[in-house]
Amino acid sequence: MVENDAVLEAVDLGFTYPESDEGISHINFKLYKGEVVLLTGDSGSGKSTLLKCLNGLIPSVTEGKLEGHLYAGGKDLAEMKMHERNRIFGSVFQNPRTQFFTENTTAELVFTLENYGFSKEDMQKKLDKLTKEFGLEGLLNRNIHTLSSGERQKVALACALSMDQMILLFDEPSANLDYGSAMRLGEIIRELKKRKITVIVADHRFYYLKDIIDKVLLMKNGQLEVYNSEEDFKSSGYDTRSFDLFGIETVSHTEHKWCECVTEVENVSYKDILKDVSLQLCKGEITALIGSNGVGKTTLARLLCGSIKPGKGHISNTGMPFYIMQDPDYQLFGTSSENELLMVRKDPGAVDGVLDSLGLTKQKNSHPFDLSGGQKQRLQIGMAILCDRDLIIFDEPTSGLDSKSMERVSRRISSLRDKASILVISHDYEFIRRVADRVVYLDDGRIKSSFELNESTVENLNSAFKEMQDKAQNLNLEE
Amino acid sequence: MHNKHFLNVNPVVVLLINLVAPTMYIFTKASFLQFFLLGFVTVLLALMGYFRRMFVLLGIYAVFYGIFEACTAAGYYSGWMSYLIIMIEFVPCLALASVLISKYSSSELLSALEGVHLPRTVVVATTITLKYIPTFRREFGYIKESMRLRGIPFSIRNPIRSFKFFIVPQLFRCAALTEEVTAAGLVKGINAPMRRSSYYSQKFRLSDSLILAVFAGGLMFGFVF
Repeated sequence: MVENDAVLEAVDLGFTYPESDEGISHINFKLYKGEVVLLTGDSGSGKSTLLKCLNGLIPSVTEGKLEGHLYAGGKDLAEMKMHERNRIFGSVFQNPRTQFFTENTTAELVFTLENYGFSKEDMQKKLDKLTKEFGLEGLLNRNIHTLSSGERQKVALACALSMDQMILLFDEPSANLDYGSAMRLGEIIRELKKRKITVIVADHRFYYLKDIIDKVLLMKNGQLEVYNSEEDFKSSGYDTRSFDLFGIETVSHTEHKWCECVTEVENVSYKDILKDVSLQLCKGEITALIGSNGVGKTTLARLLCGSIKPGKGHISNTGMPFYIMQDPDYQLFGTSSENELLMVRKDPGAVDGVLDSLGLTKQKNSHPFDLSGGQKQRLQIGMAILCDRDLIIFDEPTSGLDSKSMERVSRRISSLRDKASILVISHDYEFIRRVADRVVYLDDGRIKSSFELNESTVENLNSAFKEMQDKAQNLNLEE
Repeated sequence: MHNKHFLNVNPVVVLLINLVAPTMYIFTKASFLQFFLLGFVTVLLALMGYFRRMFVLLGIYAVFYGIFEACTAAGYYSGWMSYLIIMIEFVPCLALASVLISKYSSSELLSALEGVHLPRTVVVATTITLKYIPTFRREFGYIKESMRLRGIPFSIRNPIRSFKFFIVPQLFRCAALTEEVTAAGLVKGINAPMRRSSYYSQKFRLSDSLILAVFAGGLMFGFVF
């Protein structure tokens, strides 16, 4: 007999994918009402698999062998249909593109209720309640595509709880949020905890959950380790440095002495997004472009690439920059990894060398789309190594990476410094500390500050981040 | 979601007209039907407050019709003109279809489709298809931009090569999107067995019946004469 006071209990839960050794096994845990639970672990450790077991996509969509039991409120989830589970679990997915089914916020908020056949009166009551609880007054009847990332997150959250679910599942919320919005999300989760909702957050980064976590589920090679407090987790040996984001220590970079300017931006304005921006990018230097989401970082990158023309001002380039998008799937055109790189430089020797240095030799003949997320990203970096452009732009290269992968990416991007000027758009504090020689802080379409990053200027970076946090004000939940 | 000064038409009505109108060319005289549809849709767009769309429709119609008349007057006829005729006949339907997609949200369409008692699977498939037209347009844009940045030309001179670069990533994106959309839909109860309700469900008003009556009357007229 299972105890009823646990909101969620896993008993010897396991899952194996067909024709593969990958999966999870012997998962045991008990979660209680109002607990905030961090589900973490390196890429490929089984984190997503466990999450899918919880939200029901295993076994509904993903095929494989499911073992053991999951009980919610004492009931065996195996006996429940997907639509019954949804009344217990609310899910917030990572990708805003597919998170929503309609274009209108109100339509989206009632979408689940409609699917469950609620009457119009009940829907109106629920909608009013959600509006009040989540402070959605200004967000009703808006086009979802025009919302900021923080606002979208808030709508997604309200949608996920529209059926009064007891358990809320977040899939890597920090991957698409800037620092300020992530910190606000932390506060919202604290609020949900007060409302006795059990919140499970699957994420590689957890700085925004500091002092809120009740339990940590750490996945390691398909096995689970449970820690009953943040303190226990910190002494687990797992890399938890990012809890204290501003306290991290990084090796200071060797100061570069030479500067060969490859791109010059002079007094550029674009629509009402960018105002009077001037910037010089030099070979041998890594510049980090920071600022809240929607502040014009990507617009600036697109201007540099000539995708859009400035309304005012002038940009001079020594050539077309190489732009590495956040989503590698848009950028891969080759028939194999080798072919992909040969399209950048027709030098089989050099291509082999790069594949080897990135640990992709085994995948030489694999189709780029058959590679894992991390491998695709390495392939993109390979393209950057081989290209002969003077400016390489990386758009959020570390979003969704665990700390080990982030360190590896940092090293690889650092090694590009000597051949080109590197511009990284990022809101990953740790990554910026590791790679950036210079920081350009964009705020409200203008360059608010620009400084060389060294021990004496770290405080400037910290205050920029704190300012971004203050800026994300409107994400508060109304009491 | 609509302006009070203008007629709010039940999406079921627009959907029904869109389904019936094109097929009627099989049964009635095209020379009558095309003028009737043009007049009917023009008035309907005006009543709904879509003046810009109405003028675009009339403009396109006038241009096509003008070309056709000019060619006929000059005694010229060529194979491509049959496409012109098809365009003349279908422009009003296309204008109405564009209203269907832009005015009504996927939720409203979903309810409208359920209202005409189509099976759930058909309803869900149709809604997702409609929802993803703008998404795919954006995705095409990204890929084309990415090709430009990589220095991969999209040229007519080498269509098969260009097509391969263009279409392969798109297909993979589709597969990934499908998976994500399925997941999002399932957790939002898209396959819940109960009958779907609608927040936007509208009563069938007198104006809706009148619109349908005028439409049916016009078609009848085409049959009789």
